[in-house]
Amino acid sequence: MRVLLLILTVLVTLGAIEAIAPQLAVADPIPAQAVNQTPRTNITKRSPHGDKVESKDMGMALLFWAFAAATLGGALFVITRRNLIAAVMGMVGSFLGISAVYMMLYASFLSVIQMLVYAGAIMVLFVFVVMILNRPEDEPVAPTGRAGHVIGGLAIVYLVGRLILMLMQVQPPNPATAVQAPAQVTLPGDVVGTMEKVDWGSVKAVGWDLFGPGLFVFEAVSILLLIAVVGAIAIARPLHEDQNNAGEPRQIPRDEAATGGHA
Amino acid sequence: MSDLLINVGYGHFLVLAALLFLIGTVGVLIRRNALIILMSVELMLNAANMTLLTFSRMWGDLSGHTFALIVIAVAAAEAAVGLAIVVAVFRGRRNVDVDRLTTLRH
Repeated sequence: MRVLLLILTVLVTLGAIEAIAPQLAVADPIPAQAVNQTPRTNITKRSPHGDKVESKDMGMALLFWAFAAATLGGALFVITRRNLIAAVMGMVGSFLGISAVYMMLYASFLSVIQMLVYAGAIMVLFVFVVMILNRPEDEPVAPTGRAGHVIGGLAIVYLVGRLILMLMQVQPPNPATAVQAPAQVTLPGDVVGTMEKVDWGSVKAVGWDLFGPGLFVFEAVSILLLIAVVGAIAIARPLHEDQNNAGEPRQIPRDEAATGGHA
Repeated sequence: MSDLLINVGYGHFLVLAALLFLIGTVGVLIRRNALIILMSVELMLNAANMTLLTFSRMWGDLSGHTFALIVIAVAAAEAAVGLAIVVAVFRGRRNVDVDRLTTLRH
């Protein structure tokens, strides 16, 4: 029954991919004339760095492959290790690789944020919970039938192969403009009426977009974070009877302190 | 072939993000520890972020960076709530094996 369901799923997925793939491969989201319309941030044509994402530089390629290997290796470490601490450490390695890849995409601010928030804050949270749990898994991978493994593996290999072939052919909508991908964006300067060029992906450029068009989303996320903090505390709090039990010992020293104060 | 190795373009970043997402998906599907599943979800969110930044660079539109920042904030909130649920489940059952959480199945 499970195998039949799996086969059916794979067939439906393959059919969907076959139907969608040709359109995706030739997808050109905006026609050539639309490129000339100025986007939200006014982009300068001149680029002091040259174009960096489409680079024929050997050193850039070496760095890319090294950090891509770190990213994927760390991710594989996460899903294969039985020891939870090892998995978390693999995750940190993966995040460092991702951060470097962001830097290659000229997202310097996001790169730093990735390092601070993910490798710093979230991973520390994970380590805390791992220490609380402190139980190695008996059997890391759920057992399934051999046929399921074979079919699932073949389907994954086929789908990933198709995906890679498709993604490798992704081209900028208009190669003539995209090869000079913007190294700097022009924003209003500190003095009213002046314009200022800041680096692509810098704090100022991202902040101008975040607090301009993205202001509502920013405020919504701040409320979401507040709700998440309150919810996390409410969920992780001990149950009601535990709470009463835990409250008892705290009452006693307070009474003692009060009587001690009177005496 | 060597051209593909040396000439790193947008497609390479997209393929890297797709493989990262795939690893995250496989982790969610095959692992039974709730913590590892949460970490795999984080990997998938990072893959989506990398795709956002690649297309942001490709289109020359900075709003992809804003969106990635929002995704990071949402991922932090998700990790906090998810870990709180894991702790609550562990407190009641002394394990976090998702295959054994069958109370709601019937």
